[in-house]
Amino acid sequence: MSKETIAILGSGSFGRALAACANRNGREVLLWSRKPKEVEGATVTTELSDCSQAELILAAVPSGYVGEIFSQLGKSLDGRHMLVHVSRGLVSDELTPISRVARELTPVRKTGALAGPLDADALREGTPCGAVIGSRFPEVCAATRDAIESDVLRVYDTTDVVGVEVASAMVGLFALAYGFAKGVGVEGAALSMFLTRAMAEAERVAPHLGADTKTLYGLAGMGDLFAVLGGDERPEVLLGEALAKGSSLKDAARAAAAHIEGLSIARRLVNFAQRRRLEVPITSSILSVIDGLSPSIALSRLMARPAGSE
Amino acid sequence: MKNPFSFGRRLYETPFRLPRLRPYVPKADDPAIYWFNGERDSIVGDVISRVTANAARSESALELALNDAAFNEIRRLSSQRDTEAETQLPIFKSLAKRLSKMSDTEKQTAARKVVSKYARDIAGNFDPRVYQISEHAVPRMLTGLLRPSALPVALSPGADQSALSDLLQVDGNIEHLRKLEKTGTLVFVPTHSSNLDSIVLGRALQLSGLSPVVYGAGKNLFTNPIISFFMHNLGAYRVDRRIRARLYKDTLKMYSQVMIERGYHSLFFPGGTRSRSNLTETRLKLGLAGSAVNAFSRNRVRGVDRNVYFVPTTINYEIVLEGETLVEDWLKSEGKARYIITDDEFSRFDRWIAFFRKIVELRSACVIRFGTPLDPFGNPVSEDGLSITPSGGTIDPGTYVWRRGEAVEDRKRDAAFTSDLGDALVNAYRNETVLMPTSLVCHVLFRKLVQESPGLDLFARLRVRGETEFDRSELVRQVGQARDRLLELETSGGVKLSDPLRDSPDAIVDRALKILAGYHDRTAATQRAGKVIAEDPTLLLYYQNRMVPYALDVAEPGGEAAAQEIEAIGRAT
Repeated sequence: MSKETIAILGSGSFGRALAACANRNGREVLLWSRKPKEVEGATVTTELSDCSQAELILAAVPSGYVGEIFSQLGKSLDGRHMLVHVSRGLVSDELTPISRVARELTPVRKTGALAGPLDADALREGTPCGAVIGSRFPEVCAATRDAIESDVLRVYDTTDVVGVEVASAMVGLFALAYGFAKGVGVEGAALSMFLTRAMAEAERVAPHLGADTKTLYGLAGMGDLFAVLGGDERPEVLLGEALAKGSSLKDAARAAAAHIEGLSIARRLVNFAQRRRLEVPITSSILSVIDGLSPSIALSRLMARPAGSE
Repeated sequence: MKNPFSFGRRLYETPFRLPRLRPYVPKADDPAIYWFNGERDSIVGDVISRVTANAARSESALELALNDAAFNEIRRLSSQRDTEAETQLPIFKSLAKRLSKMSDTEKQTAARKVVSKYARDIAGNFDPRVYQISEHAVPRMLTGLLRPSALPVALSPGADQSALSDLLQVDGNIEHLRKLEKTGTLVFVPTHSSNLDSIVLGRALQLSGLSPVVYGAGKNLFTNPIISFFMHNLGAYRVDRRIRARLYKDTLKMYSQVMIERGYHSLFFPGGTRSRSNLTETRLKLGLAGSAVNAFSRNRVRGVDRNVYFVPTTINYEIVLEGETLVEDWLKSEGKARYIITDDEFSRFDRWIAFFRKIVELRSACVIRFGTPLDPFGNPVSEDGLSITPSGGTIDPGTYVWRRGEAVEDRKRDAAFTSDLGDALVNAYRNETVLMPTSLVCHVLFRKLVQESPGLDLFARLRVRGETEFDRSELVRQVGQARDRLLELETSGGVKLSDPLRDSPDAIVDRALKILAGYHDRTAATQRAGKVIAEDPTLLLYYQNRMVPYALDVAEPGGEAAAQEIEAIGRAT
């Protein structure tokens, strides 16, 4: 096994961007793609088992496929492997983090999640940005840094892997809301208030998923949300904006040209909160808009709610 | 009045050992622990040098460790006022005074002295003769004590059935464990309800033909002179919970690690202390589990392929010897709860007699269930000792400690593995709990009490005495319905049921009410004129707490709110 090789799962925009980062660090990249295709700077394979040659595997696949891919991949992995993902997804009705899915479906224990104000184009082009790697294993953080950190990409670390995953998922959801707001021309004070209250909502939910609320205010949470507000071209924002302007969900998803995890998380999060008796008015509003309610009506309903203590 | 515990205290301060003219020479097929006495000095020496070396990794760390030891020991010994205090207090006071002026070498010598004292105090003894006595004579003596009429049978040659053997039922794949103990080190990690646990587990190992284990026993257990004698001579090492010094905890963990590295099968309770509430443990103290994970890594680094197998074990009682004291302690506000209880039922011989009299006629009053053995990374283990992956394949557990193809030691990594292992153990406890009639009947009664007192908090509910009553037929119906749900849950691996829970619901209710009456000072529930009355909510709560993880599974239609409230007890504590 070559210590220089890293494996990447997925040939979408994030998979290709991570390959570019690893190349920049002089690493050999083995990229798994479902269909054969050319990816610059990477050897592409369609055999998942080939990925076991690398000690570090970065997964950049939509959460909907994670179960199937990890089950298959797990057959050729053992205790030495490290599995880090960049998904914004939480799976099942219990909103299970992907790192936990990896532990359930593969023998891998050294798992991690990479998140933060990461933009696939910026990563590929080498525009300065930063990220956070969450893992309880210091060697996972070190290996991830070795693979992708450079003078244009700063990688911080935390042991709160679930916190990183929850923060990333919640910001994905709030980026949709930002798109809605943008689509109907809400900005400034109103926008700031809703996004701040959205973070308070995330803070209520996070402990129930095993996350430390402090992590929400790090790069994976607040840091990522600042990037959305700062005008990073996020697919979630594009989709939200298109929906707000009256496009059908199908057309809006096409405009975003990426898999939007927030669409499926919103409904499961609302149900989860109901079961745990948690108030999530902003997520509920996001869900109503996904289901077809006009963002302006959703907004006025939110404004009509009695305000409580902060 | 003379302190009734002074005899026991003398015993634990000066361990009683049987005299021996020549040392015992172990035979080839003797279990590992038979070698212990011959190896003890080397083990203690290994522990002392490793703990001292760790403490002395830097001068500032060493000074901190000694300072911490002096501070904590002066505080402890000042309040202790016994022979130990007389000899040790001046030593620590002098250490505290000289510490800032000591050279690095002097500090290392001082640390070595402190650690040596700790290590020698911790290390146990193993006498094969005492093991033989415990295996054959003790069960017969107890039989005679409890049921004199059965004594002639128990004493007859070849009789291996005593009044006690029916009481204890041992479940699980014992053949698997027998195979694994030959190639690796077994680490039993049971739930903890009673001070009887280590004794009962030791007996279960004997009955299953498994090797004896070493384990850390709190010094408070040595207050019972008979138990103290057996513990001293059956390999138990002594844990003094009063000592707060970091160096002591390090010595304890290292002792456990060295024992596991050398292949001594071990036992410790990850709950740390007896479950006061009778809830199955969900928050574990993983220090000793961590020492076993470290032992595995270190062996691999040194090229020793002896695996470590954790055996999650549940110890399930129909009635708990110290139940009443434990639940009272739980209900006291957290800050006031006593971590070390020395005056509970365990130290009272009359309670032992009352307890065994109560259960002697019952089959399976205690069920020990050995769960699926796990590797240090939480994977189940195959017959030949390999780790089973989620896809059903097998892998070498040694790969977990590899980095770039080589086994390496890494404390932080092992701490993360240990934390994952803790999750796997909690999961196993839930699935391997063996429910008893008392738990189920108390749950149904307590559930009704909750339904009838909406909005009350737990403590207010515990004051509702004798007001909740059931028509016996309705109680039997609800018990039957809940039992059937539990049977379904058992099919999917979510829990286990004791044999008496497979009887008719009527028999289940009879058995539970009979057991609950007469042993504890208070009666949990009584039966009068076709009615069953919830008399003592505290005891009901205690026994029903084993049902907390399954409360939603067995809820009656319309009873979900009460079930949710009961389930929340598990989250709140």
